[in-house]
Amino acid sequence: MSLTLEYKKSKRTGCFPMFAVGGAAAAAFPVLNMAFRSDMYVSLQDSMLQTSVPQNSMLQNSSVRILLEANWQMMAMVNILLAVLGACLLYHAEYADNAMQKMRTLPVKAGRMFTGKFAWIIIMYFITLTVEAAGIMFCIYRWFQFGGEAAAELLQSFGYSLLLALPAISASLLIASLCRNVWISLGIGVVCVFTATMLPTSHFALSLFPFAMPFQILPGTTKTTVYHFMLAAVLETTALSATELIILKIRRLFE
Amino acid sequence: MNIIQTTHLTKSYSGFTAVSGIDLHIPQGSVYGFLGPNGAGKSTTMKMFLGLTRPTSGSFTIDGKRYPENRIEILKEIGSFIESPAFYGNLTGQENLDIIRRILGLPRSAVSEALDLVGLTQYRHRLARKYSLGMKQRLGLAGALIGKPPILILDEPTNGLDPVGIHEIRTLIRSLPRRFRCTVLVSSHLLPEIELMADNIGILNHGRLLFEGPLEELERSAAAKGYPTDNLEDTFLALIDEDNRRRGGAR
Amino acid sequence: MSFISLLGIEFKKIRRSKILWILLTAAVILWIPSILNAEMNFQMQAEGISPEHNFLIQGLLGMSWFMFPASMVVATVLLNQTEHTNKGLLKMLALPLDTTRLCLAKFVVLLSLSAAQIFMTVGVYYVSAAIATRTQNYDFLLPPLFVFHKVGLLFASAIPMLSFFWLLSVCVASPAFSVGIGLFSIVPSVLAINTKLWFAYPMAYPLFVITSEYGKLASNMETAPVRLFPWIPTAIVLTASCLLISCLFFGQGERK
Repeated sequence: MSLTLEYKKSKRTGCFPMFAVGGAAAAAFPVLNMAFRSDMYVSLQDSMLQTSVPQNSMLQNSSVRILLEANWQMMAMVNILLAVLGACLLYHAEYADNAMQKMRTLPVKAGRMFTGKFAWIIIMYFITLTVEAAGIMFCIYRWFQFGGEAAAELLQSFGYSLLLALPAISASLLIASLCRNVWISLGIGVVCVFTATMLPTSHFALSLFPFAMPFQILPGTTKTTVYHFMLAAVLETTALSATELIILKIRRLFE
Repeated sequence: MNIIQTTHLTKSYSGFTAVSGIDLHIPQGSVYGFLGPNGAGKSTTMKMFLGLTRPTSGSFTIDGKRYPENRIEILKEIGSFIESPAFYGNLTGQENLDIIRRILGLPRSAVSEALDLVGLTQYRHRLARKYSLGMKQRLGLAGALIGKPPILILDEPTNGLDPVGIHEIRTLIRSLPRRFRCTVLVSSHLLPEIELMADNIGILNHGRLLFEGPLEELERSAAAKGYPTDNLEDTFLALIDEDNRRRGGAR
Repeated sequence: MSFISLLGIEFKKIRRSKILWILLTAAVILWIPSILNAEMNFQMQAEGISPEHNFLIQGLLGMSWFMFPASMVVATVLLNQTEHTNKGLLKMLALPLDTTRLCLAKFVVLLSLSAAQIFMTVGVYYVSAAIATRTQNYDFLLPPLFVFHKVGLLFASAIPMLSFFWLLSVCVASPAFSVGIGLFSIVPSVLAINTKLWFAYPMAYPLFVITSEYGKLASNMETAPVRLFPWIPTAIVLTASCLLISCLFFGQGERK
């Protein structure tokens, strides 16, 4: 119910088309990359079959791995920027014409707006990922062999990406909900994304930074690491959401 | 029975007191006019009732409920319109009201009723940010009236309206207690306006309550104190002036 | 009214906006990894670059690839929002002011903000280089003239990009798209600098210039040199047309 409300409120803000167009743009990366350098990547698959990789890592020989390793950095960058920008715009709609005040005089729990926006961004983000997965799928179909196995791998991979994006989404919303001025929330978000780009993805502890997590990919990661990341994503999302609710409570005490 | 009652309600910010220990008694089913010059503390008081700002000391009850324990229950009973209109600029008038309707859990018809009540039906499909000042004001009023809440808190509702609109809205407010059996707390800095709408009035100056009671009583007590009474406006001005002088000439 | 006093007004409008703090935070975060990983500057034998040069150039690469362009997109949002919340621009248009000059004054404010961030970056660079000098027992500090030459190139090469961002914020009414296009146009600049047509993509200029400086400082590295033709003419045409279009469209949305 609060989800449909948030959907209605975001009308004409350009938020939804932005996620769709952003997804399409990100999906173009692997396609263009393959169009220009397909030989290099196709031969990678053969060399991968010959080299031995750690036994317990996920989807070690797949074409999904080749494509994600080659393109995910950029695609993830687009995704995180979408999450940050989406959060800023949703809260900007609340603050711009003082609607926030009206909302606060209505009998609703303070956290409802946050959860509603959270759910709405997850849905839009899901659509972005779907478009991107379609792009990857096209590449596999066109340049590698596409079958049931590849489809399953793709599904697993993008499911993992969605889960690992939750901390970044909740953190962006947290920042945006606290700033009346959109450039401040956007500025903080951009600084966070920038920080994330400087953290090495191979370093587990540093990659736990909410905005750095979406850079992770499933293929080639050991099972234990994958579980650790999934657990961390759930914990961080819970912690960030709880922080938002506590801040909302405290903020009321000081107004 | 008083539906809203405050005891020593105070709000101070660092360095100045916006509302200073006021005791208000707002009887159920009446129009209560909240009168005072700009910056007297009318809006601050109303914001406290809505939980938008926290009292520094003192307390209030609304329909027997207390803030902050019963915040949600209190807000369920109040329709409010505070200061400048608050709305989503990217949505149409109708969509704005629909959002409030959904949150309040009202039937679909509530939106068109509210639009009709304030005379916005014709412009319901226009984006709210393209509304004229008067239309924004009407949209804000519709957002308060939607669902016929038992208590209405209206902060200077006729600001920015044309004379015809002012008359219309005044008549509407005047008729509300009878039509919907609700209590209206309405503020203004214009006495003639309050005179036309309110049963009871409270006069606020620099955060202090100078007078509370029915209009006739204001006249009587003013006459007793030797203020001019042939024109209520003069009475009001004399009251404020006297208070300012007592406070040491500070305006 | 003179252009200078118009500029003064424009600077006044962004008072208390906290934008300088955001720009400074970005500059500080830029150099923290450089301090922490200072010892890595000694392992650049393959590239053949001296540790102190590497320290500076790695930071500038990080700056020109994302941090600086993204900060500037945020700055355009600031300039835009200060006018649109509470309809400040409408008031401006009702005053006897030349809108073209108003538009250009705002662009100059944007240029000043970018210069401010570059100065901050240099300031934080010297602090962090001094810290690295102490922790690594090696002199990382470079002469100011050398440093300002590099950041000067960075600033000059960023002007076409800034004019493009300015065009976006003036002409694209929906903030979702003006900011979105701005931020997303930054991402592919890493790809763009490796293509022959890099000079057609203003967002890649700063990164290209700094990468090429990197190549000059690293004796064993081959990076594409900056060829002034056809870059400079293209850049001038792009900048001029972006500014022209934004001046033409400035305030049109309010005049409907």
